[in-house]
Amino acid sequence: MNIPFFGDLPSDVLVAWIFSVILGIIVSIFIIKKKKLPVIWEYIRTTNHRKIGTMYILFGVLFFIRAGIDALFIRTQLALPNNEFWVFQYEKYNEVFTTHGTMMIFFAAMPLLLGLMNVVIPLQIGARDLAFPFLNAVGFWLFLAGAIFFNLAFFFNTTPDVGWTGYAPLSTSEYTPGPSTDYYVFGVQISGLGTIFTALNLIVTIVRHRAPGMKLTRMPLFSWAALITSFLILIAFTVLAIGLYLLMFDRLFGTGFFSGDEGSPVFWQHLFWIFGHPEVYILALPAFGMFSDIIPTFAKKRIFGYPAMVISLALIGFLGFTVWSHHMFTVGLGPMANTFFAITTMLIAVPTGIKVFNWLFTIRGGVLRMTVPMLFSLGFIPSFVMGGVTGVMLSVSAADFQFHDSHFVVAHFHYVILASTILGIFAGLYYWYPKITGYMLDEKLGKWHFWLFLIGYHLTFFPMHISGLQGMPRRVYTYGADEGLTTLNFLSTIGAFLMGVSMLFVVWNLYKTHTKKEKVGNDPWNGRTLEWTVASPSPEHTFDPMPVVKEMDPFWYAKQENRELETTTKTRAAPIAINTIIPILMAFSLFVVAVGLTFTWYWLAIAGGVLLFSLFIIRSLTDERKDHYGKGVETNE
Amino acid sequence: MKKLSILPIFLFLAGCNITVLDPKSSTGKEQSFLIWFSFGLMTIVVITVFILFAWFVFKYRYTKEKDDVIPKDVKGNLKLELTWTILPVLLLAVLAVPTIAITYDQSPVSDAKEELDGVPIDVKAEQFKWTFTHENGKEVTDELVIPETDAVIFHLKSADIIHSFWVPALAGKVDVFPDKELTYEIKNPEAGTYKGKCAEYCGLQHADMTFDVKVVSAEDYKKYIEEEE
Repeated sequence: MNIPFFGDLPSDVLVAWIFSVILGIIVSIFIIKKKKLPVIWEYIRTTNHRKIGTMYILFGVLFFIRAGIDALFIRTQLALPNNEFWVFQYEKYNEVFTTHGTMMIFFAAMPLLLGLMNVVIPLQIGARDLAFPFLNAVGFWLFLAGAIFFNLAFFFNTTPDVGWTGYAPLSTSEYTPGPSTDYYVFGVQISGLGTIFTALNLIVTIVRHRAPGMKLTRMPLFSWAALITSFLILIAFTVLAIGLYLLMFDRLFGTGFFSGDEGSPVFWQHLFWIFGHPEVYILALPAFGMFSDIIPTFAKKRIFGYPAMVISLALIGFLGFTVWSHHMFTVGLGPMANTFFAITTMLIAVPTGIKVFNWLFTIRGGVLRMTVPMLFSLGFIPSFVMGGVTGVMLSVSAADFQFHDSHFVVAHFHYVILASTILGIFAGLYYWYPKITGYMLDEKLGKWHFWLFLIGYHLTFFPMHISGLQGMPRRVYTYGADEGLTTLNFLSTIGAFLMGVSMLFVVWNLYKTHTKKEKVGNDPWNGRTLEWTVASPSPEHTFDPMPVVKEMDPFWYAKQENRELETTTKTRAAPIAINTIIPILMAFSLFVVAVGLTFTWYWLAIAGGVLLFSLFIIRSLTDERKDHYGKGVETNE
Repeated sequence: MKKLSILPIFLFLAGCNITVLDPKSSTGKEQSFLIWFSFGLMTIVVITVFILFAWFVFKYRYTKEKDDVIPKDVKGNLKLELTWTILPVLLLAVLAVPTIAITYDQSPVSDAKEELDGVPIDVKAEQFKWTFTHENGKEVTDELVIPETDAVIFHLKSADIIHSFWVPALAGKVDVFPDKELTYEIKNPEAGTYKGKCAEYCGLQHADMTFDVKVVSAEDYKKYIEEEE
């Protein structure tokens, strides 16, 4: 369809425009009618950790739904051999799997995890906020600016189609000229920068702002996981930033890092996977942490082998940096490299196995309450093990020559990422929902969600192991009727739609919960850690007076012995939450820079840069604590 | 538990001719051996976990009688924890031996130092077709004919971006790069007709970048490369 200004728009983009405009109008009417504008204005300027965490989660869910719909398009196109579903063949198919991968990793899984950490970590360790509330807001808005920038590509029909891995030379300007790949480069770069800031913030918070008495050896495992994950982010996302930076120069200014005589496409693969493999653990470790907190809560029993759980987290994190070339066994690095990376990859199975058995033995001897968060945690264990063992199979490098880039690999990484990250996020959201909103999600609808999702997940991805071994490469939009792939693919498609249906139960659940408006108390789950001592939803000024921690799971043991937690008023100066418009403006100015560079409107890029520096100057001249002096806030460092 | 019950069905399916598990070359047979071997070892792990999981979840689930029970805290158990650290290490050591042996033998190499013995074929990949050049200079597009022989040596190079050369029925894949030539050896291919594919995403028509593979007898191969197209 030809539309002035936009040019030829394919029907899927047109539908998206119409849908978005209608949705935009409905949301605007709702906001104005319910007089929610002040709330939005408040959230735009907030630096409070719970509010920022809530925004991370909201947008994470939004992008999760978008990327999930992309997955349904992929599965519908692949349902039957030689199928032609709507527009999803050739470049449209390539765009849709690129979007699905990039969005799920960077704009759904990451913000959902960072959101949960934002909300929960300060409450778990007895901090009043993250160490740098202002930086936290900057990190969030950078994530959102990057995500919006990436999403815009679709509306202008210039969606990137280089895969979420963006392999050079396909991603260089010679093979993908035009702005499409730039949306990928800048979208991921800007949001990645925000992720690095948040990781720094979490590290300092966990190191500096624990409650008195909370030694590292008494810290809840989710906080431990957040600490180790943050170190992984710090290193891995920095490498990604460098890779994207070099790719940007290759694309815009004709340098030759990843092609030509001096450069090599293999360099990109190394940089990408030095980021990419730790990223897998960046996604998995926080989930491991959540399960390690949720399982003891609902087994009424402390975690089995706490020191081993911490050490294995650290070991997985460390080994995660030594395995990246197992994504490149077919690249021709030679037998020595292939062997080394096969062995290191196998080694990672050991600390992972320790964790699995420790969870099993936490269950042993407990009294298991089958709440929704517990169901998701229990569903994780066998599912994750099934994905883990195919990981060991993939590490066998000569066998990987067959597995590599086939649907077997697609099956493997969906198995591990969905089992750990997605089930973990669901478990965490159901578990901490009272702490975020003050309401409890409906248990019955939650169980529907769990079972449909779990069955759909196995039905989708189990057959892919076989279709991969049957010779189906990944990232193909079709296959022949004579290849023995029809039944397997059809099963996968049914499974994908089951997962889609399960998400409708989430929507219903949210609607039901927020119309019933039944407030719950501080401690709806009979929890073990400090977050259950504060009000639900958590207030802006928490832990006054500050609890003193004498053991692991302090709240649980206090309840068992019918005593109150000891408190003290002698605490370190706490970070101050303020309202400021500067973070969102900073993110906006980087957004402007990205637009300028993408379309080579350099004047606009310079304008964005100038705005950013002015904001730095304004920020440097502002004394943000000023408002608080008058209120007599103690700062007895 | 549902998962356990569907597992045998898929194992049964696995029996009936899954391409990769029923390979037609000795290179592919070594790879499918590794796949089966690692699958066997990993099945032990999966079954152990599934049994413990099902047993514990069933036995320790909440029932009305347990309403007031506060279970005993167990901090850990050094012996048990050592067991599930050491046993996996041993299991992986068992897996590592054939892995290393076969990987050393099979890994594709760049700039092969010594000339490998076998029938050489030059493979050129480009968006979105394959060109195969035989010893005597005969060039064919999207159709690969090779003889039943001890070894076929592929010299692979790309004219534009990265592709990947894959004949699932014969052996594993090897990437094809624009800036370096890789050498990959397939040993003892068996006569038959197979399908070849590009396995590295390469743009618009990646899915259509397939080729036909025919393995013929040595005499037929001789005739084939002599005849004009």
